[in-house]
Amino acid sequence: MRQQTSTLLLLASLLGALPGAARADAAPEPVALREAYTQPLPGLSDPEREQFFRGRSVFRQSWVVAPANDRAAGLGPLYNRLSCISCHQKNGRGRSPDGPDERMLSMLVRLSVPGRDEHGGPKPHPAYGGQLNDEGIPGVPAEGRAAIRWRNLAPQTLAGGEKVVLRQPLVSFVGMAYGKPGNMLYSLRVGQPVYGLGLLEAVPEATVLAIAAESKPDGVKGSANRVWDAAAQRTTLGRFGFKANMPNLRQQSAGAMQGDLGMTSSLFPEENCMPAQKACRAAPSGGHPELSDGDLDAVEFYLANLAPPPRRNADDAQVRRGEQFFADAGCAACHRPTLQTGPSERFPLTANRQIAPYTDLLVHDMGKGLADNRPDYQANGRQWRTPPLWGIGLVPLINEHSQYLHDGRARNLQEAVLWHDGEARRSRQRYAAAGKETRDALLTFLQAL
Amino acid sequence: MSDQTQFSSLRRRLLLALGTGTAGSLLTLPALAAGKTRERQPVVVVTSYNDEVFSRFEAAFEKAWPQYKLQLVWRMPHDALPYLSQPKQSGADVYWSASPRNFAALAAAGAWQPLGIDLSGLPKTVGKARLTDADGLYTATEMAGYGFIVNPAALAKLGLAEPKDWTDLTAPAYAGQIVMPIPSRVGFAPVMVEILLQAYGWEKGWAVWSGIAGNAGSLMDRGSTFVTDEVASGRRAVGLSIDFFAVAAIANGAPLRFAYPAHSGINPAHIAITKSAGNPAGARAFAQFVLAANGGQKIITHREIHKLPVRPAVYRELPAAYFNPFAAAEKGVFDYDGDLGRDRLGLLSALFEQMLIREHGELVALWQRLHRAEAAGKEVAAARKLLESPLITAAEAADPALQQPFRSRLEGAEPGSVGALEQRWQERSQANRAEAGRLLQQAGV
Repeated sequence: MRQQTSTLLLLASLLGALPGAARADAAPEPVALREAYTQPLPGLSDPEREQFFRGRSVFRQSWVVAPANDRAAGLGPLYNRLSCISCHQKNGRGRSPDGPDERMLSMLVRLSVPGRDEHGGPKPHPAYGGQLNDEGIPGVPAEGRAAIRWRNLAPQTLAGGEKVVLRQPLVSFVGMAYGKPGNMLYSLRVGQPVYGLGLLEAVPEATVLAIAAESKPDGVKGSANRVWDAAAQRTTLGRFGFKANMPNLRQQSAGAMQGDLGMTSSLFPEENCMPAQKACRAAPSGGHPELSDGDLDAVEFYLANLAPPPRRNADDAQVRRGEQFFADAGCAACHRPTLQTGPSERFPLTANRQIAPYTDLLVHDMGKGLADNRPDYQANGRQWRTPPLWGIGLVPLINEHSQYLHDGRARNLQEAVLWHDGEARRSRQRYAAAGKETRDALLTFLQAL
Repeated sequence: MSDQTQFSSLRRRLLLALGTGTAGSLLTLPALAAGKTRERQPVVVVTSYNDEVFSRFEAAFEKAWPQYKLQLVWRMPHDALPYLSQPKQSGADVYWSASPRNFAALAAAGAWQPLGIDLSGLPKTVGKARLTDADGLYTATEMAGYGFIVNPAALAKLGLAEPKDWTDLTAPAYAGQIVMPIPSRVGFAPVMVEILLQAYGWEKGWAVWSGIAGNAGSLMDRGSTFVTDEVASGRRAVGLSIDFFAVAAIANGAPLRFAYPAHSGINPAHIAITKSAGNPAGARAFAQFVLAANGGQKIITHREIHKLPVRPAVYRELPAAYFNPFAAAEKGVFDYDGDLGRDRLGLLSALFEQMLIREHGELVALWQRLHRAEAAGKEVAAARKLLESPLITAAEAADPALQQPFRSRLEGAEPGSVGALEQRWQERSQANRAEAGRLLQQAGV
């Protein structure tokens, strides 16, 4: 017999709704919502519950420099942070630095050079690899650091006269320890929310491809990214990451373990050292692999069964008005309000459910302003995956900031909307042309997700 | 020059500003950032604080001291001791952790240099717990108190009153309603064992522990469920824990209360500067920041952290409901003396394992039978005595030779294989339970 887990019961009892449901009945106490990104899907059995908590421990584990008398040994030699939770605080969204002297504490920089690797993905930089590691264990020089300055753009005026100044990041690289980067492509990435991913993984590929093939208004297109599945050794649909460049949760987890923490796994058994990084290559290992399959299983299980937060205040008049405008403005063409999951043998709680993620899992041209000019498999430098919006309204409460978009440039939801361009231009124009009350209603709707 | 200093020097030499451009552009522009972006000098901090604590300190300290960058080396206390005992202390500048044993042991080994910072406004003790080293080598930066996480709704449903002290938890009504940590596996738990032994004495202390363990419905291992999970769900009504786990959960909405028992104890976290610190100025800046009323002492009161500040003045700025250990200590709540039992904590954990954890299911069944027998008015004092009896005497436990093999068994260490001594305790414990069972059977239960 399956039992609902403790934390779920707590939240559900306070909210009067179950995570993953499209609607919630009652306005919750804000304080309870601070744990809304950490709840399991309802229905875990006792053994599953144990596995969920083990995965939570792996996700929160601070990894240790080898050699050490600790099962957590294996950090680095090059890395960004000590734990998964560092960049995904409370399972939520990371933030960008306020200025060039502030380090990236929940953000990283993807690197590559023009061209493709043997599987069609980004070609790693010959000296720095696929990601800038701004930390090294003692004796291994960190690769360097990316510093962000913010440049304000010219004010734009919305209907009714409200002026908005957007900011754009200017990036410089300092302390690059392994030579001049030369022709290096780079892309800023804040830590992404990690709840609801199992449900997204359970959306059938055919569903995503069917959405891609649909005819859409306003010049909206959308295409599926095709990426390399390292375990299956074949190309498949990309689902996760800002460019939908990861095929599944297991590879996403193992990839982040290797790239962000320097932890090897059976899926990625090599240390993240480039040929010229001699100290890195000579550094002691924490094991072969450093992350056990048991821990990888556990963290995958944890992420697969993390529930998205329920909506709040869905029957509020302002929220409903905003929801209507969200549809009328064309936002829902990409931010699909509902998707249907298919069967899932490995994570049955994710199977055959209607979910409300507000994504289509496709990549779209978002215009020049947001472009990173760094192709990632079949996603070009202007394309980004439609990010799920579920839970977005809780970011200020849970993550104690209000930064959005891949590099945290948007300081609030309105700025995030106003950065939409390319295929989303018409929707953004409708927002900018709408009256203040309508715009506020849309933002209220987003805050209720 | 330490490894870390060499590393820093290398980084400084290699400092190179390479370019600037809008995010994601091809990087081809000349060096525009040189001289505009400061490279920070690392302060290497060995710690076992989790990310929720440390990330806030990183952000705040680096904002307050832009010339420094915190470099975190995470080590559980059992592993930090050898790490800081290596040549040049492995390049560490600061040790900051909740492990009084390590600070004392490393002080004795000459590992620290004088703190050399302003300690005014910081009491030397709270209750019987010493906060500042007599020689000024290390000082407490925060405290955590021991007690009970309770689920008021679950207690009400069971018709149980909130426990006021440890002995309350031995009552038959609590059978199956307690979750407790395994001392050999969970870092904060050995001190909890010692608190009871100091509060009630050796014999009665073990008797109380046996009664509580007999009522425990679940045992908490490392890397598994949290005590707060078990109690918030109502699976158990009471959890034995350290305060900040519970209070942070409560702050985030868990339907819990934390109750300090009449006999509680304080476990302080300390900070020290290594003798071979490569960046002593940065180390002092960090230590001062951690102790500053508007710096670290404020950060630790964030609802995600909720530790107890060591600077009494800070409590004046906190909500009235924020527990004030200095006020509680005046009522005798914190008579536990951490220094007194420090050397035997590993031994206690090993004894606890063999007496109360290893065959926990059997122990629980025996206690339930004993409670039934006593409720029926049967004479089962001898059986009770067998379940409550410690495996060794207090005098034996005070023997440094006996303590020595277990000193490294704490705070994150794997228990390792059971030695001959533990095998004997295991057999003794098994014999006690078997005899208690026989006596209970004789009594007809």
